[in-house]
Amino acid sequence: MPDLLHLMLALAIIAPLLAVPAIGVRVLLADRFPGEDVAYRLSAAGLLLSTLASVVVFGFFAGAFGEPVRGEIEFGRWLQIHDYEIPLVLLVDRVSVTISLFAVLLTVVVARFSRTYLHKEPGFVRFFVLLAFFATGTQLVALAGALELFFAGWEVLGISSAMFIGFFHERDEPVRSSVRAFGTYRFADAGLLIATVVTFELLGSARFSALGRAGTLPAAESTLIALLFLLSAMGKSAQLPFSGWLPRAMEGPTPSSALFYGAVSIHAGLFLLLRVWPVLEVSPVARAAGVVVGLATAVYAALVVRVHTDAKGALAHATLAQVGLIVVEICLGWITLALVHLVCHALLRLGQYLRAPSLIHDSHRFGHAHHRPSLLERAAPRLAVRAYAASLHRLRLDDRIDQAFSPALTVARAIDRIDRRLRSALSLDGPS
Amino acid sequence: MSGHAAPGSDAGPVERALARAANVLPDQGPIGVFVHHNTLHAYQHQPFHDGVQAGARDLGARPYLSLGEFRAAWRSGRIEDRDVWEEIDRALAGRADGWQLRGLERRQLWHTLLVSDCDPEDAAGLAFTVEFGRAPQCADLPLWHAALARVTRGPRPQPIDERTFRRHRDVLVALDGDDSDVPVHAELIRLGSGFLDHGHARVALPSRERGFLPAVSELYANGGPEPRACAGVAADMRALAHESADAVAVIHRALGQLGVHGADVEPFVFATALALPGWSGMFSRLERHPHEHVCDRPPTLAEFIAVRLLLERRAVGQVCSGLHLPIVWPELRRHIPPPPVRPAILDAALLWPIARSAGWSPAAVADLTDADLDTLWRECAACPPLMRRRLFHEAYERTYRRWILDAVAARRALPPDGSTERPRAQFVFCIDEREESIRRSIEEQHPLYLTFGVAGFFGIAMDYRGLYDREAAAYCPVVVTPAHEVHERAVATELNWHDLRLRLRDRWHDWERRAAAASRTLSGGAGLSFLLGPFSAVKTLAQVLAPRRLSALGDQVKSRVAPRPATRLSALRPAGGAAAAVDAGHGAAAAKPVGFSLDEAADRVTSTLRNIGLVRDFAPIVVVLGHGSTSLNNPHESAHDCGACGGRRGGANARLFADMANRPDVREAVRQRGVDIPSDVWFVGALHDTADDGVSYYELEALPASHATCFQEAHAALEAARRENALERSRRFDDARLDERSEEALKHVQSRSTLLAQPRPEYGHCTNAVCIVGRRSVTRGLHLDRRAFLVSYDPTTDPDDSVIERILAAVGPVGAGISLEYYFSSVDNETFGCGTKLPHNVTGLIGVMNGHQSDLRTGLPLQMVEIHEPMRLLLIVEATPAALLRVASRQPEVAELVVNAWVQLVSLDPATGAMQEFVDGRFVPYVPEPTLLPVVDRSPEWHLRSRAHLTPALVRRALPAAAVGHDRQPGHEPAGALGA
Repeated sequence: MPDLLHLMLALAIIAPLLAVPAIGVRVLLADRFPGEDVAYRLSAAGLLLSTLASVVVFGFFAGAFGEPVRGEIEFGRWLQIHDYEIPLVLLVDRVSVTISLFAVLLTVVVARFSRTYLHKEPGFVRFFVLLAFFATGTQLVALAGALELFFAGWEVLGISSAMFIGFFHERDEPVRSSVRAFGTYRFADAGLLIATVVTFELLGSARFSALGRAGTLPAAESTLIALLFLLSAMGKSAQLPFSGWLPRAMEGPTPSSALFYGAVSIHAGLFLLLRVWPVLEVSPVARAAGVVVGLATAVYAALVVRVHTDAKGALAHATLAQVGLIVVEICLGWITLALVHLVCHALLRLGQYLRAPSLIHDSHRFGHAHHRPSLLERAAPRLAVRAYAASLHRLRLDDRIDQAFSPALTVARAIDRIDRRLRSALSLDGPS
Repeated sequence: MSGHAAPGSDAGPVERALARAANVLPDQGPIGVFVHHNTLHAYQHQPFHDGVQAGARDLGARPYLSLGEFRAAWRSGRIEDRDVWEEIDRALAGRADGWQLRGLERRQLWHTLLVSDCDPEDAAGLAFTVEFGRAPQCADLPLWHAALARVTRGPRPQPIDERTFRRHRDVLVALDGDDSDVPVHAELIRLGSGFLDHGHARVALPSRERGFLPAVSELYANGGPEPRACAGVAADMRALAHESADAVAVIHRALGQLGVHGADVEPFVFATALALPGWSGMFSRLERHPHEHVCDRPPTLAEFIAVRLLLERRAVGQVCSGLHLPIVWPELRRHIPPPPVRPAILDAALLWPIARSAGWSPAAVADLTDADLDTLWRECAACPPLMRRRLFHEAYERTYRRWILDAVAARRALPPDGSTERPRAQFVFCIDEREESIRRSIEEQHPLYLTFGVAGFFGIAMDYRGLYDREAAAYCPVVVTPAHEVHERAVATELNWHDLRLRLRDRWHDWERRAAAASRTLSGGAGLSFLLGPFSAVKTLAQVLAPRRLSALGDQVKSRVAPRPATRLSALRPAGGAAAAVDAGHGAAAAKPVGFSLDEAADRVTSTLRNIGLVRDFAPIVVVLGHGSTSLNNPHESAHDCGACGGRRGGANARLFADMANRPDVREAVRQRGVDIPSDVWFVGALHDTADDGVSYYELEALPASHATCFQEAHAALEAARRENALERSRRFDDARLDERSEEALKHVQSRSTLLAQPRPEYGHCTNAVCIVGRRSVTRGLHLDRRAFLVSYDPTTDPDDSVIERILAAVGPVGAGISLEYYFSSVDNETFGCGTKLPHNVTGLIGVMNGHQSDLRTGLPLQMVEIHEPMRLLLIVEATPAALLRVASRQPEVAELVVNAWVQLVSLDPATGAMQEFVDGRFVPYVPEPTLLPVVDRSPEWHLRSRAHLTPALVRRALPAAAVGHDRQPGHEPAGALGA
């Protein structure tokens, strides 16, 4: 039944997004925002439809409807210019159906949670619109069969993530943090974009299935592609040196933090690595680099957790430490372990994030823990102070990145100043 | 208790500024125990309006609601027009005449300034809405064009420059420079939270026991990297680490480098201390209450400011040199940019409504001479926006006050209750306004059900240690220090089980704590992911989808598998056995006796009964209900508990009171003190959960068989009442149905209190407005919409005012504290309150921040105050003005609140019912207007009509027997039957 399969795959991706035009039409017609119930029901309906479709797709994969379905499912062409062709192709395999089902289920839980949590919040409708974008982005990432489509999903994911961080845009700090995350994504995503183009050039196609031919490429070329993929994954999963944006991403409402930085979005980089594994496999250099980065991040995050006093920041770094470990697992080739680790970890963190405001209550229940001085503190107190300072300041990663980009920032500021002068010169404050 | 005490005259300007700041900064301790207090307590020695305006100015906050909110209230009828006129006349006091412009009088002008949207601030927005026909000005466009043309010709009004330049940063930001506070605050927040952490982080700031300044300088001296925006600070700190200078000296040096000298110093340091108020406030709070901190050496505000100035100096220096500006403060101030030019369209927006209300034609507007316009602007300047808000605020209160006082007068006009029949049951509640509805609901069931209100610690101040508490905590108002400890202990037959359960419980908690900590480590996180990830997901799913069932199931399993052992309180101690009762292990001289002596117990029981006037006509059953609140995922949990119990649950106090009052020996001693409790009276202690509306009873196994029937009746009354209460509360929640049945409403509130995602498990004290001290007969039968603290007081049994003095000394400050905290948190939720809960992030176990790092947010969250009407507490006391003046002369704290008008006091004469308002330092008679109150048979008929605030109504069934007859059975049919 290829038709049903096509329909279900398409629904899994598109259904959440259907809520957006539905809400938009209502806004246009009624000239005001729809009520909470309407917005929630529309987006929940989209999410449930997507869940249902994902379950059916999983059924196809598991063989519930005859022969188990594996491999690429064609939807035609996205774009064709002369010989260049960008296919619309989805992929049904173990990883894609698992992640697709898993991500949409978590989104449904978070949507239900947020319905109560965001009640009466002025940004209620915006929240659910963004959630719909996010769900579509994850489904696209999970099910894409070629890098171009994957990249599209990847970008939707990135933008919705940045928008959630800046959700409370009437304050400065969320906006600053949002811009930082967005900037990091932009930089790292360039890796994915270049890798896509290079893959296309070298292998003649950017389908994941074509990546298997990466072994036939010269070592330098396959390593270049692999490193570019790694760069992109590092940005999305906040690996060193891009870790600075993650703690700052805790500016959004609690459930969005839980979904993005506890459960789904933070693991997207890992998913990319799993997807492009054939390329990584033939590039020992990239894998070694991945192991180093993952280990360094894990150690860094584990150290930072020790000094973190706030609930969400500590959770963010605890999550980061595990993500670093999973990067190592992938780069060592332990794919199944990595996949299980990823899913179990996301499940654990989701609950922990959602319960983050209970910290005070729990500490009353448990009483205070008395920390004994660690080995380091007893053996080398001065070193311990240094380690504390480095962890507290998170190695001043943000400062260092700012410094690296300061020439660009200077230019940007100059342009901004000119722009402001122009605007104030041109703006009409009414007759004065 | 506040530190108005100015530091010695020899103190320098820095010390003076710090002392002043310590007063003004938020006085909220670690959030685990939340106690309501007047946010602007430091300004309480000034009259209300002066105080709030000064406080708002210092803290950069709004003193009243915005004019937009007031005008909306005026349009909806919440502020009646006559009250606006009355306030204008009161403010003009004789100046009403003497100015007139082409038929426009001063009164009329002020009224226009108040009620019309004459003061927009967004010129571009106004131009746009006029252009597109959406502005009110489009109603008379010719007049608008005339006004616009006229104001453009001048003269123009003097604009008010509201910008303040207190620190370098203010000037730099105005000059489009980088905000130097961003890097400074980021650094301070990290350092401060590491320093103050109460046990969340594995490692605290090294050498924090030496104080903030030494610890921080040590950190940098040991190679801590410096922030880029504060380059050079590490070297400064290294130098400091060697010389160990004291904080004030460091402040002086930094001030010198910033070029702040002489008279500038005090305001500059004051503004600096207020720049990050939450964190500064926590340092200052812990300095004054060292026992609330975990470290031996308390933090000090001076050290915090010293570190701040060290960082700030470098950050400011960097920005200044980037902009080629001098760092020396007086020189920098010369670069303050001029205020932006006020666009003429805003002046036209002021002229237009004035012209309309004066009835001027466009031609008349065009004809206005320059002199006319000039005097008009000057007249407008006499009633600036702040004055308009002040007048509106007074009118806002006046309207509500009239409604309540007229209702009280109308209630009094009903025939008095002459019933001499013995009451069937009596219920003693906390004075909390949240209990008003449940009391009314009980009274609706039978005229002979009587209810009382008394501060919810029931006169028993104690350090209480529950069965599983690690240490005793004070269960009494915060101003009282208990002299006794009371422990809850398992009964002898269950001691073995208790031991076992305790050990299991401790192990379980220990395990949970370890798991929580381990999940954050590298290896633990990995291991626990595999082990617990899937289970955690199932649990989260259940908690989100079926919270109430899951919680009920959990309770059921717990009570089946590991039931709580039966317990007793160590209420009384053996005569003369004080020393013996003290554990030898504690041994210290400071140890408090465990349990009360017979005399102490009798004193407390007697005085509480006397306070509420329950000295005769006892019902066979008296239920004493404390209250508390259950919610999940709520850092502000404690703010919903009983304020009279110091932000804790009042169940233990109710239980202890009942326990004492039931003892024959105590009763005998009480009888000697003049209160005769008949032997056929039984007291039952209970706890009312204000979030899930559950009622649990204590020590029912001790209930005599003879009282089983009485208790069952009282129990049934409470069962019905708590459902009705849930229904009445539900109408306030937009996500509950308005036409629910009480059974569903009960389920609804239960799921609120068990849902992780619920930011408003209950509305707490929100909407509180009135406090009525007097006999219940003053208010019984009035529907007060859960907005009234009800304090039982019988003036006929208090000839020497000693009881009313006791009550007002306790209730005045507590009630005013609650009402003022709600007032400030709702007029400016971002500054005085802590904003929306949604991005809150618990830090260091001491408070919440917004998102990843921000100021510590103090005060109440938006979700707790969103339906509040910010007013000063309307305190109506059933006592003569003379008695009240006598009390005030003996109680300075009450006098301060009343004289400076931080509460609105009204005296209600016990004999005649005449009312007198305390206005401008004296009592003024209030003449109530004859009002026909709406009458309903039962309260739901009144409150289920809307979700909005309600005016008072009469509830026929709740009235005493004289008004409705008493020949009916207790109880009532369920609320669902009302529709007919």
